[in-house]
Amino acid sequence: MSPRLSLAVDFIKSHQNPDGGWGYEPGRASLVEPSAFGLLALGATGDGEGAGRGLGFLKACQRESGAVGFGLKDPEGGWMAYAALLAFHSLKAQPEERRLKDWILGFEDASGRFTKEDVEAISSRFRYDASIPGWSWTPRTTAWVEPTALFIFALVRTGVPATEKRIRSGVELILDRRVPAGGWNFGNPYSKSFELEAGVMSTALALTALGAAAVPERRPSVGAGLGYLKKSLDGDISTASLAWVSLAFMSFPSTAALATDVKARLARLQREDGSFRGNIYETGLAFLILSGAAVLFPTPGGRR
Amino acid sequence: MTKGSVNRRDFLRLTGTTALTAWPAAALAGVLPQAAKPSGVAPLLKVAIVPCPDYGPESLAAALRAGWRSTHAPDIRGKRVVIKPNMVDVSPERPIHTEPRLIEALALHVGDLGAREIILAEGTSHNRDAEDLFRRAGYEALAKRRGLRLIDLNYDDLIPTRCVNPKATLLREMKLPRTICEADILVSVPKMKTHKLAGITLSLKNMFGVLPGMVYGWPKNTLHWNGIPLSICEINGTVKTHFSVVDGVVGMEGHGPIMGTARKVGVLIMGDNALAVDATSARVMGVDPARVDYLAMAHKVRIGSLRRDDIGIAGEAIDRVRVDFALDPEFAQIRASRANAR
Repeated sequence: MSPRLSLAVDFIKSHQNPDGGWGYEPGRASLVEPSAFGLLALGATGDGEGAGRGLGFLKACQRESGAVGFGLKDPEGGWMAYAALLAFHSLKAQPEERRLKDWILGFEDASGRFTKEDVEAISSRFRYDASIPGWSWTPRTTAWVEPTALFIFALVRTGVPATEKRIRSGVELILDRRVPAGGWNFGNPYSKSFELEAGVMSTALALTALGAAAVPERRPSVGAGLGYLKKSLDGDISTASLAWVSLAFMSFPSTAALATDVKARLARLQREDGSFRGNIYETGLAFLILSGAAVLFPTPGGRR
Repeated sequence: MTKGSVNRRDFLRLTGTTALTAWPAAALAGVLPQAAKPSGVAPLLKVAIVPCPDYGPESLAAALRAGWRSTHAPDIRGKRVVIKPNMVDVSPERPIHTEPRLIEALALHVGDLGAREIILAEGTSHNRDAEDLFRRAGYEALAKRRGLRLIDLNYDDLIPTRCVNPKATLLREMKLPRTICEADILVSVPKMKTHKLAGITLSLKNMFGVLPGMVYGWPKNTLHWNGIPLSICEINGTVKTHFSVVDGVVGMEGHGPIMGTARKVGVLIMGDNALAVDATSARVMGVDPARVDYLAMAHKVRIGSLRRDDIGIAGEAIDRVRVDFALDPEFAQIRASRANAR
């Protein structure tokens, strides 16, 4: 590991909370997403003690139903469960992983709650099919592109076949919500007659999920999305978005080489204290990408 | 968003046969004005409509000083002030977010009045990439320039807070950001805009942004399922906004809050009661506040008053600055008649 990368791990290690978890920023209360990425980073460097304490925190966040939410006090579970799943898998917490997977695969969004009239109204106003099941941020609400993408990514990376029914449905949802000009936003391609714009993070997450689910690059939505991301590289991109863009590019043959440049750009955002923006989640994510950690990639080195 | 028609039905149900009652006065977060006043007594709520022709620093500073002087503005000395702009998204073509030059002028103003600490805080609704939005909106640069703390409310520490509505369901125990709970003074600084699901969006609706996305999802989806009017009232009944400054220098009409077009009005509208400020702003936009579901509901549960007789206007008269905003056709019914926008 390069000295710069070990600084990132030092930053994460030095800000672990007494309960074993991490907040998004040092000194903040522990939450599931930053804790998962903190422990994944420590686990990838062989720090079993620190990762184990992080795992203890995540286990404490799991409810009897198998659900994991944003933290210890979330009774229902929600979108951050994707990160916990990656962590349970990586640290071989098999009973927890199994229960969480079952919960994620049984996760109810609002698609089953919409009446036929609701689906038609949504279709005429926002031009998407609300009857397609995906994943929402919180149970029983509307499914959106980003939580659907995060759950697909985590399920496939932890061994669920891309042919699984819920994953196929999630893929269908993502493809249905594409912005006509290319790319994705949070999940509304239109608002009445207005075509809405794509965003970098949503597009990168959607493509990363589609890549994980083996949707081929020749699909027009994938090609247009990759084109949108390539154009976006001319502008300023946030740290987290850049990290996900690199994963998206690594997911498809024609952009795999570009990922190297994006990773180099991401590496330049590292601060003197070793962190990325002083944020535990972003530091963990950037570390895992820059070190080619196996949890995010199907094979070491990150190539499909 | 997806639940507009359902929310509207829910609202009608709530305000129809099972009429919503006023929430307990003791539970309201200090937002309650006097519901009734003896006749002949001056209105207890004060709202200033201050001309501000442009975003030049002198124009803004003068307008803020004038508005502050002529309303029941809070005492800022020694206080931690949190400024909550509206930044649902950012576009170079459309005035979606609160103009950063106004935020900067406001930060300087409250700094001059002796604020101990000034924080700029937002929990973005559509696009959760706050690093990107703060940068493109110009907030990151201004925070650096003026030494403000910039907080992403979507990922702040959480403080469980009991909702003011005893019958609340989805928001019964709100998870509020620590930054908001620990503010001595909360200043809401929305853009004057139309809204495709709510009709208009001003100070009360701006408070959607204080509920963290990591708990309530994006685009604050749980709040839509709870019903937009009810969520606005439950949030504003529970979280006190001490002062509101509506950015009406240039607003947005048509298909807001993100796809509308710029509309110049040339005013700042401010006051200490968010509902009174919103009602006055609505009238300036050519909208009858009593026909806006959430404003009517806020009035009913006593978050403030939207009645013209309860609000003393300082500065310009409404009719002198009124600019009829183009409305989404679905909200044509909220247009006020020219004769009397009560």
